[in-house]
Amino acid sequence: MAETGADVYYHSFYSRKKQFHPMSFFMGAPMEDNNNHSSTHAVNSVGIIRAPHGDGKEAIVLVSPYNSDKMELSDALSVGLAYSIFCLLGRAAWLAKDIVWLAADSKFGEYASVAEWLKQYHDPVFIGKKLNFHPVDGDIQFVRGISEDFKRAGTMAAAIVFKVLETSQGTGTDNVNIYAESSNGQMPNLDLINIVHYLAVHRHGLHVEVGKLSSLLNSLWLKMVGKFLEGVSNIVGSLNPKWRFALPVLDYVEGTAVLASSVYHQALGVPTGPHGAFRDYQIDAITLEISPRVSLNSEMARSSFLVRVGRLIEGIVRSVNNLLEKFHQSFFLYFLTSPSKFVSVGVYMIPFGLLVMPLPILAAALYSGKASEALVQKSDPFNTQKSYKASQENPFPSVGSWKWIHAAKLVFAVHLWATIISVLPSLIYQASCTNTTTNFLIWIALSIPSFFFFYWISLSSYFHSNDAGWAILKALTIGAASIGLGLMSIINFATAQIGAIFLVPMCLMVHPLRQIYRGAGLGELLHMVSNVVLGLIGFPPASFILLKGWSQGFEEVNMGDLWVWVENLWSWNSATYLYLLLVHLPCWVLCLIVLLHP
Amino acid sequence: MEGRKYEAKKITKFSHLFLYLLFFSANASFESSFSFSSSSTNMHTNNWAVLVCTSRFWFNYRHMANTLSLYRTVKRLGIPDERIILMLADDMACNTRNSYPAQVFNNENHQLNLYGDNVEVDYRGYEVTVENFLRVLTGRHETAVPRSKRLLSDEGSHILLYMTGHGGDEFLKFQDSEEIQSQDLADAIEQMREKGRFKELLIMVDTCQAATLFSRLYSPGVLAIGSSLKGENSYSHHLDSDVGVSVVDRFTFYTLAFFERLNMYDNASLSSLFNSYNPNLLMSTAYYRMDLYKRPLDQVPVTNFFGSVMEMTHVDSAYHAFSGKTKYETPHIQMPSSDQSTDQAEQQELRTSDASIETKYSVKEVKPGNNHLMGQWKALLDMVEDTDAFVNYGLLAMALVAVISSWVLS
Repeated sequence: MAETGADVYYHSFYSRKKQFHPMSFFMGAPMEDNNNHSSTHAVNSVGIIRAPHGDGKEAIVLVSPYNSDKMELSDALSVGLAYSIFCLLGRAAWLAKDIVWLAADSKFGEYASVAEWLKQYHDPVFIGKKLNFHPVDGDIQFVRGISEDFKRAGTMAAAIVFKVLETSQGTGTDNVNIYAESSNGQMPNLDLINIVHYLAVHRHGLHVEVGKLSSLLNSLWLKMVGKFLEGVSNIVGSLNPKWRFALPVLDYVEGTAVLASSVYHQALGVPTGPHGAFRDYQIDAITLEISPRVSLNSEMARSSFLVRVGRLIEGIVRSVNNLLEKFHQSFFLYFLTSPSKFVSVGVYMIPFGLLVMPLPILAAALYSGKASEALVQKSDPFNTQKSYKASQENPFPSVGSWKWIHAAKLVFAVHLWATIISVLPSLIYQASCTNTTTNFLIWIALSIPSFFFFYWISLSSYFHSNDAGWAILKALTIGAASIGLGLMSIINFATAQIGAIFLVPMCLMVHPLRQIYRGAGLGELLHMVSNVVLGLIGFPPASFILLKGWSQGFEEVNMGDLWVWVENLWSWNSATYLYLLLVHLPCWVLCLIVLLHP
Repeated sequence: MEGRKYEAKKITKFSHLFLYLLFFSANASFESSFSFSSSSTNMHTNNWAVLVCTSRFWFNYRHMANTLSLYRTVKRLGIPDERIILMLADDMACNTRNSYPAQVFNNENHQLNLYGDNVEVDYRGYEVTVENFLRVLTGRHETAVPRSKRLLSDEGSHILLYMTGHGGDEFLKFQDSEEIQSQDLADAIEQMREKGRFKELLIMVDTCQAATLFSRLYSPGVLAIGSSLKGENSYSHHLDSDVGVSVVDRFTFYTLAFFERLNMYDNASLSSLFNSYNPNLLMSTAYYRMDLYKRPLDQVPVTNFFGSVMEMTHVDSAYHAFSGKTKYETPHIQMPSSDQSTDQAEQQELRTSDASIETKYSVKEVKPGNNHLMGQWKALLDMVEDTDAFVNYGLLAMALVAVISSWVLS
């Protein structure tokens, strides 16, 4: 690297143990902990080309991760590709921004290496003692005078992470896979993806893909829906050609699969590649995984592959270089339905708004007592005398007095319980390192008694209220749910969207089973059944098991998977974890309480 | 005594006559100059060009290339640098993103480097502002502004005003920070007309919705053409893959194609230029307004605005200049009248005709009468041209008068 005349230096870092620090959800980065070092370290190599006529204020970052423990052909190809591009850019006449090449050592994980480097770049910590550093190739450092001082290149305009995969896809062309999602559902500016797609497809004949849920591709009901929509649009199109709206069935199915994958990955809040580390510092970044068409064992295949892909990356770098500012003209909030099509925030906000809108209205209606009174009368036809008398004596039993405070106490208690059990996994993790299933069982075992403890505390005051008291509880539950959903939609919209799909029907339809049971008839029966079903689905573990079983087959599912999934969430500081445990779970519990109200 | 008295009388009579005739000739010269001030009888004497590119930044490469191409065309057809005001942001040739440093192209064949050795930019970089533009048009500069940055036109000038950049409905954007409204432009042009700063003005605008920029003009003698109508965009012609940006706009591209076929002596008229724009090729409608312009377009040659054709005709005899204006520019040659015995009426016609021949005029005997008097005093003014001789003659005459009078009176 030094031969190209660039500034070169090594950056060594230690691996960071996974730790669950509750405050890390809210702080930017965890605090430096000197006692947490392991004995091994890894070394990143960084090279910087300074633009000869540029002003040195901005930089473009290229990252090529490789595993220094076991180098394979694909790793060598990634680094080789990056090196050839780096040499070319060192001689380019059109360079206006500096180029930084980070050869990231992915011994401890690709994300970790990039994140460490970025942290040192933006928030450096100056430790007094010198790190004990033994380079891998001991003599090379002294021969070429490569330093250890950390050099910087200004603000980063954009970053591209690329790696070559060994497996060939068999699509007939070289394949480029784009990963764009970062932590908490943040996406890079759509223009970056547009550039890659346009250059790859129109200029170099590569095939571009974004992640998709392959299980949906073969689903029959999706195909039927697609055919139905196509039929409707044909009918409409025969009236007026401009009203045609549907895609062909295959496109529709594929688009839905990609959209589902995009929504799911954004909702998880876990970055899909090392580019996620850049987004934390507001730098647009994507990961490209390039897989060649044929196996790359021959020299000729390798050189032609390098030329093709190298041109693509050079084109991306030149496009970003010609910019004057960072990307700001296109969307930041979107779901991808194909590499070149997207759904923007103005469109996908509408379903969420429609779902959440009834919640406050129903809460207000319940609280004012009118709805509850009607429900009481309707579900109690055999006791009209009693209810009539009750209504005469006490027309609005739940309004005007302080009766709501009992329900409020219950809601508060449930939320407090949920907060405590959300902190439990950290203790469990630190306490024991046994396998995942036992961890999960321990968690459940600790949470159920504590729940009953809280319930018993707030129960005594609650039971004083009468028949219609559950209406207040439902109103407060719905209020809490709408506040939680609203807050979550600002942080991670996809999570709020999926959560609303699960939570809203359950909250709206919940009704004490016994009261429905009193009335006979089909409507009430349907109501009862739907309440039960929704109650079951609303329980996060149950829905997780159901979805996983549906996509992967029921034999492979066990309890440990859930623990692994949840651990994934909190180790990445994803806000989805907080949402699940602080909004979804309490609302489900409260709905259960209403459902089982005597 | 009688002789002296007679001589004294003769002297005073002579001095009275002298003063009277002097006053008369001054009057006559004033009258003759006033007869030129009405615009319809102004002569077209020189051509100016004001070329303005209102954008900066690398992705507006094509606006710079548009303006530089027009600059080259106008220079090739004869307007010299001192009569061109070029306002450019000038950040293309030495931009770090330019893979051909110090070169600006308007075509992807890279045949012509627009940014050669003798490009004289008058207002560059951040000096291209609305304020400077209006100062150039109206001529109201600070005292320290050098002559090369001023539009020193007069009432015989034809001015070409070319503007390109990003525009919209009734405005033109200057360097991404300010705008000029079409009403401001119209008022500035009216100021120009009141101060007699142009005889005819051609405005050519290559922006989006260009026709709206000159929709508010109300001064006579102005002709305007824009590359698109209100609500239409003007498009770039092609993209250069090497440079990486679009290098020329469509309207300017087809204008340049028209001028490629011309040389300085062609008689192509403005109507043939305006009719050469094909809306299908331009992808917009080139719209021109001629309601403020009196001459029919097919009689106006394009070199009246885009070039500067100065016909030099060879004469056998030397000549003295009659008045301040020595060179008349016209593509047509008229036969000079070289007859020496013409009477005074034709002598006066020489001033208003297009011919460039002056003849030597010999002083004839003085006859009483107005015409003759004028001719006589034209001869006197002719001699006044030679100031040294006049001073010498005057001193001699004064000395003679003093000597004679003292000798007579003593």
